[in-house]
Amino acid sequence: MIQFRNRDELGLPDQGQRRHGLTGMRFRFAGIMTLFAVLALTLTACTGGPTEPNWSDISLMDGNILLTFSTVMLQLDPVDGSQVNLYDANGNVRTDPSTNTARRWEIAASGGSSPTRFYTTPLNVADNLLLAASYDRKLIEIEQDTARVIDINGTAIPGHMVADLLRDGDVLYVPLAEKDLLALTVDGYSQLWRFSTTRGVWATPLLLDGVLYVTSMDHFMYAVNAETGEELWRIDLQGAIASTPLLYNGSLFVGNFARKLFEISLDGVIIAEYDTADWVWGTPVIADDVLYAADLVGNVYALDISGEGFSELWRRQIASRAIRPSPIVYEDRLVVASRDHYVYWLDRETGEVIVRHDVRGEVLAEMLLIEPSETLIIGEPLLLVSTMSRENLLFAFQADGNSEPRWKYPR
Amino acid sequence: MDIILNIFVTLLTFLYRVFGHDMVLSIAVFTILVRLLTLPLTIQQQRSTRAMQKLQPELKKLQEKYKNDREKLSQEQMAMYREYGINPLGGCLPLLIQFPIFIALYSAINMALAATPTQMLDTGGRLLIPGLDSVIPLNNLWLGMDLTQPPDMSIIGTSITSFIPIVLIILVGATTWLQFKVTMPKQQPNANSDGKPDQAQAMSQSMGTIMPIMYMFFTLSFSVGLSIYFIVSNLVGIVQFSLINRMRLKDAASADAGTSLMTVEGKTPKIRPASESAKKNSAVANPKGPSGRAVTNKSAPKAK
Repeated sequence: MIQFRNRDELGLPDQGQRRHGLTGMRFRFAGIMTLFAVLALTLTACTGGPTEPNWSDISLMDGNILLTFSTVMLQLDPVDGSQVNLYDANGNVRTDPSTNTARRWEIAASGGSSPTRFYTTPLNVADNLLLAASYDRKLIEIEQDTARVIDINGTAIPGHMVADLLRDGDVLYVPLAEKDLLALTVDGYSQLWRFSTTRGVWATPLLLDGVLYVTSMDHFMYAVNAETGEELWRIDLQGAIASTPLLYNGSLFVGNFARKLFEISLDGVIIAEYDTADWVWGTPVIADDVLYAADLVGNVYALDISGEGFSELWRRQIASRAIRPSPIVYEDRLVVASRDHYVYWLDRETGEVIVRHDVRGEVLAEMLLIEPSETLIIGEPLLLVSTMSRENLLFAFQADGNSEPRWKYPR
Repeated sequence: MDIILNIFVTLLTFLYRVFGHDMVLSIAVFTILVRLLTLPLTIQQQRSTRAMQKLQPELKKLQEKYKNDREKLSQEQMAMYREYGINPLGGCLPLLIQFPIFIALYSAINMALAATPTQMLDTGGRLLIPGLDSVIPLNNLWLGMDLTQPPDMSIIGTSITSFIPIVLIILVGATTWLQFKVTMPKQQPNANSDGKPDQAQAMSQSMGTIMPIMYMFFTLSFSVGLSIYFIVSNLVGIVQFSLINRMRLKDAASADAGTSLMTVEGKTPKIRPASESAKKNSAVANPKGPSGRAVTNKSAPKAK
């Protein structure tokens, strides 16, 4: 039987004593516990918890813009940025019977805490069939007309994928973020060969005359026989390389994390190099024998490559933060976009900023310049800029930057 | 914060290069360096904890005396802290100061070991020593675990090495518990000898249980690299405390030859009876001051 006794009998301090007696200790105890709680929250908040491992990718598909970012893949109308509807065989808009609304070309992956995520552009591998590389080590087939994922489990791949796939005829090349490059058959995705690198391949290889030029985070650029996977040569560039080399006038141009830009011959010899202030991530761009590149502390470089080696025309600190994507040349302007939330239009001759636009978010993804054509019905050239902003995922600017964005696509 | 972060990322990368591209060894050495740099804070924290504990009997007397007057009790307590030069938050302050270091280290490990393009982008521009770029990217794999990710519990049971995450969690919990046990001064049971249970001791004990559990939870939630920091930091803490304690006892023993009155650690009380012998550094095993206050000592009270 439970008996209740008073506090004195139990030898407990009286209420007043309890209240006063341990105030200090309780304060310290509660303080330390609070400290731990704040620490846990801060650690999570400071690091943003599970952040996106990569940025978006923009491409064109059948006259529409195809945007892939994280769990979403969708098509937008380049005229006004509206989502593209799905059409049936008769050309009528498909409707959702439950809501009686038009169905859009959109794939929104789910999967709880680890959903399928896309950061690369899908490839057209057969009639009405797209192949998407998901970050979580899967190749996923999508029916193009209906935006239907054929099998969400897809084909397992032995690594994450952060670079676009490359297709040449019946062969599919898959760069793996941890290490190695795979060659698979387009039909059935069975492995033809596997080329070994010691670190990841974060850029799509350049294919030229049956040779794949592969850059790797292991500091090497490799030339690989595209048919057999045999290594033809390798060159140590003393720093990680995260971009695809650019071919121009029979030479390869690439920047790396050793703060250098290189000109390399097709047989693997360094012809020229140029020191930059910081890492160069994006692929350089060349127009009229002038190479333009940017680094991760916001500098932009213009180098004359018409003679021997690199001859500096100008270098300017343009942005206050990293310029990750490749610059874009449009007429007499050079466009760069930065993590400082701005897109800059520069005078190609002098490097002076002509105009800049605030996109209210970091720009990490490659920009895309689209121009009117038979299949692309737009009134003027547009520059597409994707951001990491929580407000807008995509901006379409007039290519010369002379006006406010033509349209925005919200996140 | 960015300045601390850049220094940490640079130092981690530098150690990685020096120690033959071994990231775990680099984190261990880095942790030892951080613990050495924060040693003055650790000493202050321990000194404060000990002093507070020595004052407990006195505080209890005050609490009994002013149990019906909280305001007066508070004033008297503060007066006592002032008298002995004790900051009641002295035990927490060093923890607060270490807070930004801890957060920066967490971010630095993830940045230095960047495994994804977005993480790598954050590493760019942070290396303060020219030439360190050549070791980027750092190897983030250790015993089959990604040092930037929490331990993968889903693989447990698939092979012998798959049990390493469990070992890691146990090590974090065990070393945290051990450090707590070693560094917390031994409680004097029922110092007020009134037969009433010592709740302060109970609180300490519960903290000794909660802290390891919390750190084990952190291990499950945060990167493996940070867990290595926890383990090494705890071990270094144990060694540091043992050395500090040994030196303190040695000092106390050598001072024991002389006659001593009292002081608590920290500042000398402002009002104390003067004594010639008390002008020397002195210590007594379990001294009591003139007012019956429990004391330890480092510096003797000065005559006024």
